[in-house]
Amino acid sequence: MNVLSINNISKNYGKVTALRNVSFSVPRGSVFGILGPNGSGKTTLLGIIMDVLKATGGTYQLFDENPNNQLRKRIGTLLETPNFYHYLSAVQNLKITAGIKQRGENDIERVLEIVSLTNRKNSIFSNYSLGMKQRLAIAAALLGDPEVLVLDEPTNGLDPVGIAEIRELIRLLASQGKTIIMASHMLDEVEKVCSHVAILKYGELITFGNVDEIFINDDIVEVASSDIEQLKDALKLMPGNLKVEIKGNIVQITFPVGTANLENVNQFCFEKGIVLSQLQIRKKSLESKFMELTN
Amino acid sequence: MMYLLKIEWLKIKNYKAFLFISLFFLIGIFATNYIVYSVFHNIVNKSDAALLLSNFNPYDFEHVWQTVSYASGYLLMLPSLLLIILVTNEYTFRTSRQNIIDGSSREEYANVKMMMALIVAGTSTLFVVLCALVFAYSSGKDFSITGFSHVGYFFLKALSYNIIAIFISTLIKRTGFAIGIFFIYMGAENIIAQFLDVLSMKLKSSKNIDFGSLGDYLPMNSSDGLLSFPPTPLKSFTTNSLPTEYTWIVLGFAIFYLLLFSWLVRRLIIKKDL
Repeated sequence: MNVLSINNISKNYGKVTALRNVSFSVPRGSVFGILGPNGSGKTTLLGIIMDVLKATGGTYQLFDENPNNQLRKRIGTLLETPNFYHYLSAVQNLKITAGIKQRGENDIERVLEIVSLTNRKNSIFSNYSLGMKQRLAIAAALLGDPEVLVLDEPTNGLDPVGIAEIRELIRLLASQGKTIIMASHMLDEVEKVCSHVAILKYGELITFGNVDEIFINDDIVEVASSDIEQLKDALKLMPGNLKVEIKGNIVQITFPVGTANLENVNQFCFEKGIVLSQLQIRKKSLESKFMELTN
Repeated sequence: MMYLLKIEWLKIKNYKAFLFISLFFLIGIFATNYIVYSVFHNIVNKSDAALLLSNFNPYDFEHVWQTVSYASGYLLMLPSLLLIILVTNEYTFRTSRQNIIDGSSREEYANVKMMMALIVAGTSTLFVVLCALVFAYSSGKDFSITGFSHVGYFFLKALSYNIIAIFISTLIKRTGFAIGIFFIYMGAENIIAQFLDVLSMKLKSSKNIDFGSLGDYLPMNSSDGLLSFPPTPLKSFTTNSLPTEYTWIVLGFAIFYLLLFSWLVRRLIIKKDL
Protein backbone atom coordinates (compact mmCIF):
# COMPACT_ATOMS: atom_id res chain seq x y z
CA MET A 1 0.00 0.00 0.00
CA ASN A 2 1.19 3.48 -0.82
CA VAL A 3 0.68 6.33 1.58
CA LEU A 4 1.06 8.80 -1.25
CA SER A 5 0.99 8.41 -5.03
CA ILE A 6 1.78 11.39 -7.21
CA ASN A 7 0.85 11.23 -10.89
CA ASN A 8 2.17 13.85 -13.31
CA ILE A 9 1.78 16.79 -10.96
CA SER A 10 2.60 20.15 -12.54
CA LYS A 11 2.43 23.64 -11.12
CA ASN A 12 2.90 26.91 -12.96
CA TYR A 13 3.08 30.40 -11.50
CA GLY A 14 2.36 32.42 -14.61
CA LYS A 15 5.21 31.61 -16.98
CA VAL A 16 7.35 30.06 -14.26
CA THR A 17 7.13 26.30 -14.00
CA ALA A 18 7.57 25.21 -10.39
CA LEU A 19 6.84 21.53 -11.00
CA ARG A 20 6.79 19.59 -14.25
CA ASN A 21 5.06 16.19 -14.50
CA VAL A 22 6.35 14.83 -11.22
CA SER A 23 5.35 11.23 -10.44
CA PHE A 24 6.43 8.93 -7.63
CA SER A 25 4.93 7.00 -4.78
CA VAL A 26 5.71 6.68 -1.10
CA PRO A 27 5.41 3.16 0.32
CA ARG A 28 3.93 2.69 3.79
CA GLY A 29 6.56 2.47 6.51
CA SER A 30 9.29 4.25 4.57
CA VAL A 31 11.24 7.33 5.55
CA PHE A 32 10.96 9.15 2.27
CA GLY A 33 13.25 12.08 1.62
CA ILE A 34 12.40 14.69 -0.99
CA LEU A 35 15.74 16.17 -1.79
CA GLY A 36 16.62 19.12 -3.93
CA PRO A 37 18.38 22.46 -3.92
CA ASN A 38 16.54 25.63 -2.88
CA GLY A 39 13.77 26.45 -5.34
CA SER A 40 13.53 22.92 -6.71
CA GLY A 41 9.82 22.64 -5.88
CA LYS A 42 9.88 20.52 -2.71
CA THR A 43 7.61 22.75 -0.65
CA THR A 44 5.36 23.43 -3.65
CA LEU A 45 4.87 19.70 -4.06
CA LEU A 46 4.04 19.20 -0.38
CA GLY A 47 1.76 22.27 -0.51
CA ILE A 48 -0.22 20.64 -3.32
CA ILE A 49 -0.50 17.37 -1.40
CA MET A 50 -1.80 19.29 1.61
CA ASP A 51 -4.32 21.24 -0.52
CA VAL A 52 -2.95 24.70 0.22
CA LEU A 53 -1.78 25.01 -3.39
CA LYS A 54 -3.71 24.00 -6.48
CA ALA A 55 -1.89 21.87 -9.04
CA THR A 56 -1.97 23.09 -12.63
CA GLY A 57 -2.10 19.47 -13.79
CA GLY A 58 -1.91 15.91 -12.53
CA THR A 59 -3.47 14.00 -9.66
CA TYR A 60 -2.46 12.42 -6.37
CA GLN A 61 -3.83 9.86 -3.95
CA LEU A 62 -3.51 9.62 -0.19
CA PHE A 63 -3.74 6.12 1.29
CA ASP A 64 -4.74 4.90 -2.19
CA GLU A 65 -7.87 7.09 -2.09
CA ASN A 66 -8.77 10.35 -3.76
CA PRO A 67 -7.55 13.09 -1.41
CA ASN A 68 -9.92 14.76 1.05
CA ASN A 69 -9.66 16.62 4.34
CA GLN A 70 -10.53 13.57 6.45
CA LEU A 71 -7.45 11.79 5.08
CA ARG A 72 -5.31 14.85 5.87
CA LYS A 73 -6.36 14.52 9.52
CA ARG A 74 -4.42 11.23 9.58
CA ILE A 75 -1.21 13.08 8.63
CA GLY A 76 0.87 15.27 10.90
CA THR A 77 2.42 18.05 8.86
CA LEU A 78 5.01 20.74 9.29
CA LEU A 79 5.10 22.72 6.07
CA GLU A 80 7.72 25.41 5.46
CA THR A 81 7.32 27.53 8.60
CA PRO A 82 5.73 27.09 12.03
CA ASN A 83 2.25 28.61 11.62
CA PHE A 84 0.58 29.51 14.89
CA TYR A 85 -1.56 32.24 16.48
CA HIS A 86 1.04 34.62 17.84
CA TYR A 87 -1.04 35.80 20.79
CA LEU A 88 -1.78 32.29 22.09
CA SER A 89 0.36 29.95 24.19
CA ALA A 90 1.72 26.60 23.03
CA VAL A 91 -1.09 24.75 24.79
CA GLN A 92 -3.79 27.07 23.41
CA ASN A 93 -2.37 26.69 19.90
CA LEU A 94 -2.21 22.91 20.18
CA LYS A 95 -5.84 22.85 21.37
CA ILE A 96 -6.77 24.46 18.05
CA THR A 97 -4.72 21.88 16.13
CA ALA A 98 -6.35 19.08 18.13
CA GLY A 99 -9.76 20.63 17.50
CA ILE A 100 -9.23 20.65 13.74
CA LYS A 101 -7.85 17.12 13.72
CA GLN A 102 -10.69 16.12 16.03
CA ARG A 103 -8.24 14.15 18.13
CA GLY A 104 -5.21 14.60 20.31
CA GLU A 105 -6.38 17.02 23.03
CA ASN A 106 -5.22 14.51 25.67
CA ASP A 107 -1.95 14.18 23.82
CA ILE A 108 -0.78 17.80 24.25
CA GLU A 109 1.36 17.20 27.35
CA ARG A 110 3.06 14.19 25.73
CA VAL A 111 4.06 15.99 22.52
CA LEU A 112 5.30 19.05 24.42
CA GLU A 113 7.44 16.72 26.51
CA ILE A 114 8.89 15.11 23.37
CA VAL A 115 10.02 18.47 22.00
CA SER A 116 11.17 19.75 25.42
CA LEU A 117 8.69 22.62 25.63
CA THR A 118 6.84 21.58 28.76
CA ASN A 119 8.35 24.30 30.92
CA ARG A 120 7.39 26.98 28.37
CA LYS A 121 3.97 25.58 27.47
CA ASN A 122 2.09 28.61 28.75
CA SER A 123 4.30 31.26 27.14
CA ILE A 124 2.79 33.01 24.15
CA PHE A 125 4.06 31.95 20.75
CA SER A 126 5.44 35.36 19.73
CA ASN A 127 7.88 35.20 22.64
CA TYR A 128 9.41 31.94 21.42
CA SER A 129 12.82 31.72 19.77
CA LEU A 130 13.04 30.39 16.21
CA GLY A 131 14.11 26.98 17.48
CA MET A 132 11.23 26.82 19.98
CA LYS A 133 8.76 27.73 17.24
CA GLN A 134 10.12 24.89 15.14
CA ARG A 135 9.84 22.50 18.09
CA LEU A 136 6.22 23.53 18.61
CA ALA A 137 5.50 22.88 14.94
CA ILE A 138 6.97 19.39 15.31
CA ALA A 139 4.85 18.88 18.44
CA ALA A 140 1.76 19.89 16.46
CA ALA A 141 2.66 17.41 13.74
CA LEU A 142 3.03 14.63 16.34
CA LEU A 143 -0.31 15.45 17.99
CA GLY A 144 -2.72 12.53 18.00
CA ASP A 145 0.05 10.09 17.05
CA PRO A 146 -0.59 10.18 13.28
CA GLU A 147 0.46 7.24 11.12
CA VAL A 148 2.12 9.55 8.57
CA LEU A 149 4.31 12.59 9.14
CA VAL A 150 5.15 15.19 6.51
CA LEU A 151 8.10 17.28 7.62
CA ASP A 152 9.40 20.10 5.48
CA GLU A 153 12.93 21.04 6.56
CA PRO A 154 12.26 19.78 10.11
CA THR A 155 15.61 20.87 11.53
CA ASN A 156 15.33 24.49 10.34
CA GLY A 157 16.36 26.92 13.03
CA LEU A 158 17.45 24.23 15.48
CA ASP A 159 20.81 24.15 17.24
CA PRO A 160 23.10 21.10 16.78
CA VAL A 161 21.63 19.37 19.84
CA GLY A 162 18.12 20.03 18.56
CA ILE A 163 19.04 18.70 15.11
CA ALA A 164 20.42 15.49 16.64
CA GLU A 165 17.29 15.13 18.78
CA ILE A 166 14.96 15.50 15.83
CA ARG A 167 16.96 13.00 13.78
CA GLU A 168 16.74 10.56 16.67
CA LEU A 169 13.01 11.23 16.93
CA ILE A 170 12.55 10.53 13.22
CA ARG A 171 14.45 7.26 13.55
CA LEU A 172 12.35 6.31 16.56
CA LEU A 173 9.09 7.09 14.74
CA ALA A 174 10.29 5.12 11.72
CA SER A 175 11.10 2.15 13.96
CA GLN A 176 7.51 2.32 15.22
CA GLY A 177 6.35 1.75 11.64
CA LYS A 178 5.32 5.30 10.84
CA THR A 179 5.73 6.67 7.36
CA ILE A 180 7.74 9.87 7.24
CA ILE A 181 7.92 12.13 4.22
CA MET A 182 10.69 14.64 4.68
CA ALA A 183 11.73 17.46 2.39
CA SER A 184 15.26 18.71 2.81
CA HIS A 185 18.16 20.34 1.07
CA MET A 186 20.47 18.90 3.73
CA LEU A 187 22.10 15.89 2.13
CA ASP A 188 23.50 14.35 5.27
CA GLU A 189 20.09 14.66 6.91
CA VAL A 190 18.57 12.54 4.16
CA GLU A 191 21.50 10.13 4.15
CA LYS A 192 21.27 9.63 7.90
CA VAL A 193 17.56 9.04 8.26
CA CYS A 194 15.90 8.19 4.93
CA SER A 195 15.20 4.80 3.41
CA HIS A 196 13.89 6.22 0.14
CA VAL A 197 14.57 9.41 -1.74
CA ALA A 198 13.20 11.48 -4.61
CA ILE A 199 15.47 14.13 -6.09
CA LEU A 200 14.00 17.27 -7.59
CA LYS A 201 15.74 19.92 -9.62
CA TYR A 202 14.07 22.96 -11.19
CA GLY A 203 10.71 21.28 -10.63
CA GLU A 204 11.62 18.06 -12.39
CA LEU A 205 12.04 14.68 -10.83
CA ILE A 206 15.61 13.54 -11.49
CA THR A 207 15.28 10.13 -9.86
CA PHE A 208 13.59 8.32 -7.00
CA GLY A 209 13.89 5.01 -5.17
CA ASN A 210 15.81 3.31 -2.41
CA VAL A 211 18.56 5.49 -0.92
CA ASP A 212 21.16 2.71 -1.16
CA GLU A 213 20.40 2.21 -4.83
CA ILE A 214 20.44 5.88 -5.75
CA PHE A 215 23.43 6.92 -3.70
CA ILE A 216 25.67 3.99 -4.54
CA ASN A 217 28.81 5.19 -2.82
CA ASP A 218 31.63 4.31 -5.20
CA ASP A 219 35.02 3.56 -3.69
CA ILE A 220 37.70 6.02 -4.64
CA VAL A 221 41.38 5.14 -4.33
CA GLU A 222 43.86 8.00 -4.34
CA VAL A 223 47.45 7.33 -5.38
CA ALA A 224 50.51 9.45 -6.07
CA SER A 225 54.06 8.94 -7.37
CA SER A 226 56.97 11.03 -8.68
CA ASP A 227 55.63 10.92 -12.29
CA ILE A 228 51.91 11.52 -12.16
CA GLU A 229 51.31 11.15 -15.94
CA GLN A 230 53.13 7.82 -16.07
CA LEU A 231 51.09 6.64 -13.08
CA LYS A 232 47.83 7.61 -14.77
CA ASP A 233 48.72 5.81 -18.01
CA ALA A 234 49.72 2.71 -16.11
CA LEU A 235 46.54 2.64 -14.00
CA LYS A 236 44.41 2.85 -17.15
CA LEU A 237 45.68 -0.63 -17.96
CA MET A 238 44.18 -2.05 -14.77
CA PRO A 239 41.46 -4.64 -15.42
CA GLY A 240 37.82 -3.56 -14.95
CA ASN A 241 37.71 -0.49 -17.24
CA LEU A 242 38.03 1.89 -14.28
CA LYS A 243 37.71 5.66 -14.28
CA VAL A 244 41.15 7.21 -13.75
CA GLU A 245 41.59 10.96 -13.33
CA ILE A 246 44.36 13.31 -12.28
CA LYS A 247 43.24 15.58 -9.43
CA GLY A 248 46.10 17.98 -8.63
CA ASN A 249 49.05 15.96 -7.39
CA ILE A 250 47.14 12.72 -7.10
CA VAL A 251 45.40 10.20 -9.33
CA GLN A 252 41.88 9.05 -8.44
CA ILE A 253 40.68 5.60 -9.40
CA THR A 254 36.92 4.96 -9.07
CA PHE A 255 35.97 1.38 -8.21
CA PRO A 256 32.43 -0.02 -8.01
CA VAL A 257 31.22 -0.01 -4.40
CA GLY A 258 33.05 -2.57 -2.22
CA THR A 259 35.56 -3.70 -4.85
CA ALA A 260 38.58 -1.51 -4.14
CA ASN A 261 41.60 -3.40 -2.82
CA LEU A 262 44.66 -1.36 -1.94
CA GLU A 263 46.98 -4.34 -1.98
CA ASN A 264 46.03 -5.10 -5.59
CA VAL A 265 46.63 -1.49 -6.62
CA ASN A 266 50.02 -1.42 -4.94
CA GLN A 267 50.99 -4.77 -6.48
CA PHE A 268 49.87 -3.63 -9.95
CA CYS A 269 51.92 -0.41 -9.76
CA PHE A 270 54.96 -2.25 -8.39
CA GLU A 271 54.80 -4.67 -11.33
CA LYS A 272 54.75 -1.66 -13.69
CA GLY A 273 57.88 -0.32 -12.01
CA ILE A 274 56.15 2.53 -10.20
CA VAL A 275 56.78 3.24 -6.56
CA LEU A 276 53.78 4.87 -4.87
CA SER A 277 54.32 7.76 -2.51
CA GLN A 278 50.66 7.80 -1.46
CA LEU A 279 47.90 5.18 -1.36
CA GLN A 280 44.53 5.62 0.37
CA ILE A 281 40.86 4.77 -0.03
CA ARG A 282 37.95 7.10 0.62
CA LYS A 283 34.20 6.85 0.11
CA LYS A 284 32.71 9.12 -2.47
CA SER A 285 30.78 11.79 -0.63
CA LEU A 286 27.02 11.99 -0.91
CA GLU A 287 27.49 15.61 -1.84
CA SER A 288 29.55 14.81 -4.92
CA LYS A 289 27.02 12.13 -5.87
CA PHE A 290 24.22 14.65 -5.47
CA MET A 291 26.09 17.19 -7.59
CA GLU A 292 26.58 14.49 -10.19
CA LEU A 293 22.85 13.76 -10.24
CA THR A 294 21.67 17.34 -10.32
CA ASN A 295 24.22 18.83 -12.68
CA MET B 1 -20.27 23.05 12.06
CA MET B 2 -20.37 23.28 15.87
CA TYR B 3 -16.84 21.94 16.27
CA LEU B 4 -15.59 24.49 13.75
CA LEU B 5 -17.27 27.30 15.68
CA LYS B 6 -15.70 25.98 18.87
CA ILE B 7 -12.30 26.26 17.18
CA GLU B 8 -13.06 29.86 16.13
CA TRP B 9 -13.95 30.57 19.74
CA LEU B 10 -10.60 29.13 20.88
CA LYS B 11 -8.92 31.51 18.44
CA ILE B 12 -10.64 34.66 19.72
CA LYS B 13 -11.49 34.19 23.37
CA ASN B 14 -8.01 35.17 24.53
CA TYR B 15 -7.48 37.81 21.86
CA LYS B 16 -7.30 41.27 23.41
CA ALA B 17 -8.38 43.10 20.23
CA PHE B 18 -11.56 41.00 20.18
CA LEU B 19 -12.40 41.84 23.78
CA PHE B 20 -11.50 45.51 23.36
CA ILE B 21 -13.49 46.09 20.16
CA SER B 22 -16.52 44.16 21.43
CA LEU B 23 -16.58 46.19 24.62
CA PHE B 24 -16.03 49.43 22.75
CA PHE B 25 -18.89 48.57 20.39
CA LEU B 26 -21.28 47.73 23.23
CA ILE B 27 -20.45 50.93 25.11
CA GLY B 28 -20.55 52.83 21.79
CA ILE B 29 -24.11 51.75 21.08
CA PHE B 30 -25.35 52.96 24.45
CA ALA B 31 -23.27 56.14 24.28
CA THR B 32 -24.39 57.07 20.74
CA ASN B 33 -28.03 56.56 21.61
CA TYR B 34 -27.61 58.45 24.83
CA ILE B 35 -26.22 61.40 22.86
CA VAL B 36 -29.18 61.36 20.44
CA TYR B 37 -31.54 60.97 23.41
CA SER B 38 -29.92 63.91 25.19
CA VAL B 39 -30.01 66.09 22.10
CA PHE B 40 -33.74 65.53 21.79
CA HIS B 41 -34.51 66.04 25.43
CA ASN B 42 -32.22 68.90 26.24
CA ILE B 43 -31.94 70.86 22.98
CA VAL B 44 -34.64 70.07 20.40
CA ASN B 45 -37.53 69.82 22.83
CA LYS B 46 -36.54 73.10 24.44
CA SER B 47 -36.30 74.99 21.14
CA ASP B 48 -39.01 76.64 19.01
CA ALA B 49 -39.12 73.54 16.86
CA ALA B 50 -40.49 71.70 19.86
CA LEU B 51 -43.91 73.06 18.97
CA LEU B 52 -43.75 71.37 15.59
CA LEU B 53 -42.38 68.19 17.04
CA SER B 54 -45.24 68.13 19.53
CA ASN B 55 -43.59 66.01 22.19
CA PHE B 56 -42.14 63.61 19.65
CA ASN B 57 -39.85 61.17 21.47
CA PRO B 58 -37.77 58.91 19.20
CA TYR B 59 -37.04 56.63 22.18
CA ASP B 60 -40.67 55.78 22.92
CA PHE B 61 -41.89 52.34 21.97
CA GLU B 62 -42.96 52.30 18.33
CA HIS B 63 -40.08 54.65 17.43
CA VAL B 64 -37.34 53.16 19.55
CA TRP B 65 -36.58 50.17 17.31
CA GLN B 66 -36.08 52.44 14.34
CA THR B 67 -34.14 55.11 16.21
CA VAL B 68 -31.72 52.75 17.93
CA SER B 69 -31.22 50.70 14.74
CA TYR B 70 -30.49 53.86 12.76
CA ALA B 71 -28.17 55.49 15.31
CA SER B 72 -26.30 52.26 16.08
CA GLY B 73 -25.80 51.60 12.38
CA TYR B 74 -23.06 54.21 12.36
CA LEU B 75 -20.99 52.01 14.66
CA LEU B 76 -21.14 48.93 12.47
CA MET B 77 -17.68 49.60 11.14
CA LEU B 78 -16.38 48.34 14.51
CA PRO B 79 -17.51 44.70 14.19
CA SER B 80 -16.39 44.86 10.55
CA LEU B 81 -12.99 46.06 11.72
CA LEU B 82 -12.84 43.15 14.15
CA LEU B 83 -13.63 40.68 11.36
CA ILE B 84 -10.99 42.24 9.09
CA ILE B 85 -8.40 41.79 11.85
CA LEU B 86 -9.47 38.21 12.56
CA VAL B 87 -9.52 37.14 8.91
CA THR B 88 -6.27 38.87 7.90
CA ASN B 89 -4.56 37.50 11.04
CA GLU B 90 -5.06 34.05 9.53
CA TYR B 91 -3.05 35.15 6.49
CA THR B 92 -0.41 37.05 8.50
CA PHE B 93 0.18 34.07 10.79
CA ARG B 94 -0.30 31.68 7.83
CA THR B 95 -2.75 29.77 9.98
CA SER B 96 -5.18 29.81 7.04
CA ARG B 97 -2.77 27.32 5.45
CA GLN B 98 -2.18 25.40 8.65
CA ASN B 99 -5.92 24.95 9.31
CA ILE B 100 -6.29 23.32 5.88
CA ILE B 101 -3.09 21.28 6.35
CA ASP B 102 -4.38 20.01 9.70
CA GLY B 103 -7.58 18.78 8.13
CA SER B 104 -10.17 21.52 7.62
CA SER B 105 -11.61 21.49 4.13
CA ARG B 106 -11.51 24.74 2.20
CA GLU B 107 -15.33 24.71 2.15
CA GLU B 108 -15.43 24.38 5.94
CA TYR B 109 -12.90 27.19 6.28
CA ALA B 110 -14.98 29.50 4.05
CA ASN B 111 -18.25 28.52 5.71
CA VAL B 112 -17.02 29.12 9.22
CA LYS B 113 -15.80 32.61 8.29
CA MET B 114 -19.24 33.37 6.86
CA MET B 115 -20.80 31.92 9.97
CA MET B 116 -18.64 34.28 12.02
CA ALA B 117 -20.02 37.19 10.00
CA LEU B 118 -23.52 35.93 10.82
CA ILE B 119 -22.81 35.48 14.52
CA VAL B 120 -21.15 38.89 14.84
CA ALA B 121 -24.13 40.47 13.04
CA GLY B 122 -26.52 38.56 15.32
CA THR B 123 -24.68 39.63 18.46
CA SER B 124 -24.56 43.26 17.27
CA THR B 125 -28.33 43.08 16.71
CA LEU B 126 -28.80 41.65 20.19
CA PHE B 127 -26.92 44.64 21.60
CA VAL B 128 -29.27 46.93 19.68
CA VAL B 129 -32.37 45.17 21.01
CA LEU B 130 -30.98 45.38 24.53
CA CYS B 131 -30.20 49.07 24.16
CA ALA B 132 -33.65 49.80 22.68
CA LEU B 133 -35.37 48.03 25.58
CA VAL B 134 -33.35 49.96 28.16
CA PHE B 135 -34.15 53.34 26.58
CA ALA B 136 -37.78 52.56 25.81
CA TYR B 137 -38.60 51.19 29.25
CA SER B 138 -37.01 54.18 30.86
CA SER B 139 -39.46 56.37 28.88
CA GLY B 140 -42.28 54.63 30.71
CA LYS B 141 -44.51 53.62 27.77
CA ASP B 142 -45.95 50.13 27.21
CA PHE B 143 -44.00 47.56 25.22
CA SER B 144 -44.73 47.51 21.50
CA ILE B 145 -43.29 45.48 18.65
CA THR B 146 -44.31 48.08 16.04
CA GLY B 147 -41.33 49.10 13.93
CA PHE B 148 -39.32 46.02 14.88
CA SER B 149 -38.66 45.42 11.17
CA HIS B 150 -35.96 48.11 11.51
CA VAL B 151 -34.05 45.78 13.81
CA GLY B 152 -34.16 43.30 10.94
CA TYR B 153 -32.79 45.99 8.60
CA PHE B 154 -30.02 46.64 11.13
CA PHE B 155 -29.17 42.93 11.12
CA LEU B 156 -29.07 42.98 7.31
CA LYS B 157 -26.81 46.03 7.34
CA ALA B 158 -24.51 44.42 9.94
CA LEU B 159 -24.33 41.24 7.89
CA SER B 160 -23.66 43.17 4.65
CA TYR B 161 -20.84 45.15 6.26
CA ASN B 162 -19.37 41.99 7.75
CA ILE B 163 -19.48 40.03 4.52
CA ILE B 164 -17.91 42.93 2.60
CA ALA B 165 -15.23 43.12 5.33
CA ILE B 166 -14.51 39.40 4.97
CA PHE B 167 -14.42 39.70 1.17
CA ILE B 168 -11.90 42.57 1.30
CA SER B 169 -9.82 40.72 3.91
CA THR B 170 -9.75 37.52 1.86
CA LEU B 171 -8.81 39.46 -1.23
CA ILE B 172 -6.19 41.80 0.28
CA LYS B 173 -4.86 39.49 3.04
CA ARG B 174 -2.89 42.23 4.82
CA THR B 175 -4.49 43.83 7.87
CA GLY B 176 -3.47 47.46 7.33
CA PHE B 177 -4.27 47.47 3.63
CA ALA B 178 -7.58 45.70 4.15
CA ILE B 179 -8.70 48.19 6.82
CA GLY B 180 -7.61 51.07 4.56
CA ILE B 181 -9.44 49.69 1.53
CA PHE B 182 -12.57 49.03 3.60
CA PHE B 183 -12.79 52.62 4.79
CA ILE B 184 -11.79 54.10 1.45
CA TYR B 185 -14.46 52.01 -0.24
CA MET B 186 -16.99 53.06 2.38
CA GLY B 187 -16.19 56.74 1.79
CA ALA B 188 -16.09 56.37 -1.98
CA GLU B 189 -19.45 54.64 -2.05
CA ASN B 190 -20.99 57.39 0.04
CA ILE B 191 -19.69 60.06 -2.35
CA ILE B 192 -20.97 58.15 -5.38
CA ALA B 193 -24.29 57.63 -3.59
CA GLN B 194 -24.60 61.39 -3.01
CA PHE B 195 -24.10 62.04 -6.73
CA LEU B 196 -26.62 59.36 -7.62
CA ASP B 197 -29.14 60.79 -5.16
CA VAL B 198 -28.78 64.23 -6.71
CA LEU B 199 -29.30 62.62 -10.10
CA SER B 200 -32.38 60.84 -8.76
CA MET B 201 -33.84 64.13 -7.57
CA LYS B 202 -33.14 65.82 -10.89
CA LEU B 203 -34.79 62.95 -12.78
CA LYS B 204 -37.82 63.17 -10.56
CA SER B 205 -38.23 66.91 -10.71
CA SER B 206 -37.39 67.51 -14.37
CA LYS B 207 -38.53 64.37 -16.15
CA ASN B 208 -40.83 62.93 -13.50
CA ILE B 209 -38.85 59.65 -13.57
CA ASP B 210 -38.76 58.07 -10.13
CA PHE B 211 -36.36 55.13 -9.64
CA GLY B 212 -36.08 55.82 -5.92
CA SER B 213 -32.77 56.94 -4.47
CA LEU B 214 -30.26 55.45 -6.90
CA GLY B 215 -27.50 55.72 -4.30
CA ASP B 216 -29.37 53.14 -2.23
CA TYR B 217 -28.70 50.49 -4.86
CA LEU B 218 -24.94 50.35 -4.11
CA PRO B 219 -23.52 47.47 -1.99
CA MET B 220 -23.14 49.26 1.35
CA ASN B 221 -25.76 51.91 0.81
CA SER B 222 -28.45 49.38 -0.06
CA SER B 223 -28.48 48.18 3.53
CA ASP B 224 -27.81 51.72 4.81
CA GLY B 225 -30.80 52.99 2.84
CA LEU B 226 -33.18 50.74 4.71
CA LEU B 227 -32.37 52.47 7.96
CA SER B 228 -33.52 56.00 8.64
CA PHE B 229 -34.45 58.21 11.53
CA PRO B 230 -38.14 57.95 12.48
CA PRO B 231 -40.31 60.35 10.46
CA THR B 232 -40.54 63.41 12.68
CA PRO B 233 -43.22 65.99 12.04
CA LEU B 234 -40.44 68.19 10.61
CA LYS B 235 -39.59 65.68 7.92
CA SER B 236 -42.80 66.33 5.99
CA PHE B 237 -41.23 69.61 4.87
CA THR B 238 -38.27 67.92 3.25
CA THR B 239 -39.58 64.71 1.74
CA ASN B 240 -41.49 66.26 -1.15
CA SER B 241 -38.41 66.74 -3.33
CA LEU B 242 -36.91 63.31 -2.54
CA PRO B 243 -37.54 60.31 -4.76
CA THR B 244 -39.96 57.70 -3.51
CA GLU B 245 -38.46 55.01 -1.28
CA TYR B 246 -38.65 51.57 -2.86
CA THR B 247 -38.00 49.52 0.24
CA TRP B 248 -38.50 46.15 -1.41
CA ILE B 249 -36.20 46.92 -4.30
CA VAL B 250 -33.50 48.20 -1.93
CA LEU B 251 -34.01 45.10 0.22
CA GLY B 252 -33.65 42.96 -2.89
CA PHE B 253 -30.40 44.70 -3.79
CA ALA B 254 -29.07 44.29 -0.25
CA ILE B 255 -29.76 40.55 -0.32
CA PHE B 256 -28.32 40.27 -3.84
CA TYR B 257 -25.04 41.91 -2.72
CA LEU B 258 -24.95 39.68 0.34
CA LEU B 259 -25.17 36.58 -1.83
CA LEU B 260 -22.71 37.99 -4.37
CA PHE B 261 -20.00 38.75 -1.78
CA SER B 262 -20.57 35.43 0.00
CA TRP B 263 -20.10 33.63 -3.31
CA LEU B 264 -16.93 35.63 -4.05
CA VAL B 265 -15.46 34.83 -0.61
CA ARG B 266 -16.14 31.12 -1.09
CA ARG B 267 -14.66 31.22 -4.55
CA LEU B 268 -11.49 33.00 -3.36
CA ILE B 269 -10.96 30.50 -0.55
CA ILE B 270 -11.88 27.36 -2.47
CA LYS B 271 -10.23 28.03 -5.83
CA LYS B 272 -7.06 30.01 -5.07
CA ASP B 273 -3.68 29.08 -3.58
CA LEU B 274 -3.58 29.88 0.12
